[in-house]
Amino acid sequence: MDRRDFMKGTAATIPAVVGLQMLGQRFAFAQGADFADDVEVLNYALTLEYLESEFYRQGNEAGLLSGKEAQYLETIGADEDAHVAAITDTINKIGGTPVEAPGVDFADAFSNRESYLKTSHTFENLGVQAYLGAAGFIKDKAILQAAAGIFGVEARHAAVVGNLLGLEPEGGVYMGATETPLSKDEVLAAAEPFLAGAGSMSGGAAVTK
Amino acid sequence: MSDKQVFDGQAVMDIEDSYARRNFLKYAALFGVGSTLAVAGLGERRFASGQGGGDIDILNYALTLEYLEADFYKRGLDAGILSGREQALIVPIGAHEDAHVSTISSTISDLGGEPVKAPKTKYPQGTFGDKGTFLETASVFEELGVAAYHGQVTAIQNVDLLAAAASIAGVESRHAAIIADLIGGNPFPAPVEDNKSMKQVLKAAMPFIKS
Repeated sequence: MDRRDFMKGTAATIPAVVGLQMLGQRFAFAQGADFADDVEVLNYALTLEYLESEFYRQGNEAGLLSGKEAQYLETIGADEDAHVAAITDTINKIGGTPVEAPGVDFADAFSNRESYLKTSHTFENLGVQAYLGAAGFIKDKAILQAAAGIFGVEARHAAVVGNLLGLEPEGGVYMGATETPLSKDEVLAAAEPFLAGAGSMSGGAAVTK
Repeated sequence: MSDKQVFDGQAVMDIEDSYARRNFLKYAALFGVGSTLAVAGLGERRFASGQGGGDIDILNYALTLEYLEADFYKRGLDAGILSGREQALIVPIGAHEDAHVSTISSTISDLGGEPVKAPKTKYPQGTFGDKGTFLETASVFEELGVAAYHGQVTAIQNVDLLAAAASIAGVESRHAAIIADLIGGNPFPAPVEDNKSMKQVLKAAMPFIKS
């Protein structure tokens, strides 16, 4: 797309799209109606937070870590618990019904330190991408601010866990100069292996295709 | 991270109030703080024209902070005070800030606005003299950057720009956490990111901006 075209005339209508194209990003919200309202977005987030919260509860109980690592993962777990509580409260406040905690299956994620941290890294990056992909659907600005605030903390978790694993700085600790969003379908496909039985994401209110 | 951590114990404290105030007013005008606050005050009018002066003001504000960070890391990396894993973790941060500068500049131009020029910077003596001081200052900058982006979430009107800003803010959060880890600080200070108003951020950043 020729930048000069935008400098004369069309700039009044679609310039932000151009800015985004220059970012090379795929903004998932541009894809259409993944979420009908804020309650649906929040229930989607709540399911992921429940998943993370339970993951750290089990993982931290397994006693695979020590010292600073154990401390970090305890704090991360506490953050996820706080996210579950905050999102549940918000859904209730705006008159919605919070989804139930999903059934989970973490397979052999807790066999050892490395498998625990690797799975954590996957969850945290998925959380970052899920929030970014859903952000554009949130209509209430106060909710958007809270969601953005949670999103940033998930990015902190992802980076630090990536560093504990000694991953490459770029592509392991950091995922580029900008975060990349994922659509709801992409996130659900990635989360599916960890969800089990009734009350899972594909059965809850979080998904209305 | 409070403003105090920027001011306390740093050589920048010798700036006189009158000078500081004058500087602030100058930058407030440059960033268009007045018009942005007016736009924010309109509250729910978020789907109005989509890209008013308000969004461009906010982008120029972000651009100034990114310029400041980019300059800061360039100097710090040039100083050759880091090595090993620390250096490997900081080099990409500098590259990210450079990328943010060019991305935000392009976006402002595409919106028909005029990107602000890079601010002239100044740093307390010894900022780049040793690893510890450099990383402590980096931590202040990163936490400030995170809070600055989060402080604008409700003011940005164009939803696409909001997503673009968020995609940058998330990266600043990663930086902040990694640097906190390197200096033995707390990478996870709260379950939700802090946010600061433009006024608070400018006050904290002002000691590093000359002219």
